[in-house]
Amino acid sequence: MPQSMPRAPILLTAAVKYLEEELLPTLSGYHRFQTRVTANVLNIVRRELELRASQAAAERERLCALVGHDGEVEQLSDELCGMIRGGAIELDDARLRAHLRQSLADALAINNPKWPSG
Amino acid sequence: MSDDDVQLRLEAALERHTGRAAKVYGVQRLTGGANRTTMAFEASGAGDGDTRRGYILQIGAQVLDPIEALPQASPAEQARLMMAAAQTGAPAPTVVAILDSADGLGEGYITERVGGETLGPRILREDRFAAARRAMARQCGEILAAIHRVDPAAAPFLKRQDAAEHVAAHRSVVDSYDFKLPALELALRWSAEHAPRGHRLAVLHGDFRTGNLIVGEEGIRCVLDWELGQIGDPMQDLGWLCIRTWRFGGAGPVGGFGAREDLFAAYEKASGHAVDPAHVRFWEAFGNVKWAVDCLLLGTRGVEEVGIERSAIGRRIEEPLWDFFNLIEGREA
Repeated sequence: MPQSMPRAPILLTAAVKYLEEELLPTLSGYHRFQTRVTANVLNIVRRELELRASQAAAERERLCALVGHDGEVEQLSDELCGMIRGGAIELDDARLRAHLRQSLADALAINNPKWPSG
Repeated sequence: MSDDDVQLRLEAALERHTGRAAKVYGVQRLTGGANRTTMAFEASGAGDGDTRRGYILQIGAQVLDPIEALPQASPAEQARLMMAAAQTGAPAPTVVAILDSADGLGEGYITERVGGETLGPRILREDRFAAARRAMARQCGEILAAIHRVDPAAAPFLKRQDAAEHVAAHRSVVDSYDFKLPALELALRWSAEHAPRGHRLAVLHGDFRTGNLIVGEEGIRCVLDWELGQIGDPMQDLGWLCIRTWRFGGAGPVGGFGAREDLFAAYEKASGHAVDPAHVRFWEAFGNVKWAVDCLLLGTRGVEEVGIERSAIGRRIEEPLWDFFNLIEGREA
């Protein structure tokens, strides 16, 4: 991310504000629906920029503990997939379940924060 | 194809298939599903005498890169399935014509139009549907029992998968996209280990849920979208109807409107087959896995071309997986 201001999340907030507060009331039918979806997608990107870096750091620590060595998130996660599939870890392993639950909660905090309590 | 062309071709098609000269009016494109075009029109002559009636033209666009592992009925097969289901008392659309290449309209079919509401949020929230909502869990049980009575020999073209094979098919689809998500891996392995064995096989609707039902103030009038018709474990249809995605925020685990007990009791009474709630619960859990795989496909396949609505569905994959873990860990979903 460049150091120039305003930061990307602020730009996205302004874009969403325009779409929702000024453009949407003038639209109906197809374009109203598409514009709602567009605002939703911009909000997803904004939350990803705000939340993902710290989530990924915590996810990497959990993955290192489960897989048993250090590495990058994506590579460790793929390795965990192989362990689950190959039976190298029990499906009811409490640490595994806690990790999956936290990872899903993290993703939902970006993609659809209302879902877990809905 | 211009709307005038469509009108002329519809008139010719109705005459070819019904044997009566027809006049077509007011062809109108409706919002269709992702893979097809739906048009509404009126015609006189095709039905009884000169009365104008509403019809629906459904044309399936060519499915690019079809997923061979999963059930997918062609438009002509859907029409034949709807005709077979109507015979056993299910409120399927009445098929007027199955189109062929001589009609020049594409692969599809014409049905009589049924009035009513399909949008889940409206059916689940508007006061005028309050009586319908109270009746619908029972109706769903009765309708599913009727669909499951269809003789598989009347629909030999349907893909046949028992529970374990249906799970394995979804496993293979995920593999073919080389997509790796640990929660999905666990869900697929759990599903393979818990798939019911030795269940009976029946003709299924495959996508029986709020959103695919035409509802009037008195209740369900018609069941739409038969393209996932298949032969499989009948409890699949009951579980799919209960997953949270199809509740659209409504109260009641059955489709956002009803109670499982009412659905199960009506199904048992109409079908003569006992419903084991734990068996349905497997299909609720696996229904969530199926929807997660659908999200993966919608968010992956040709995503640069499909537009923002379908792309955004890809970002919904964690919703059903969250609910899957709630189900298998004994929390309500």
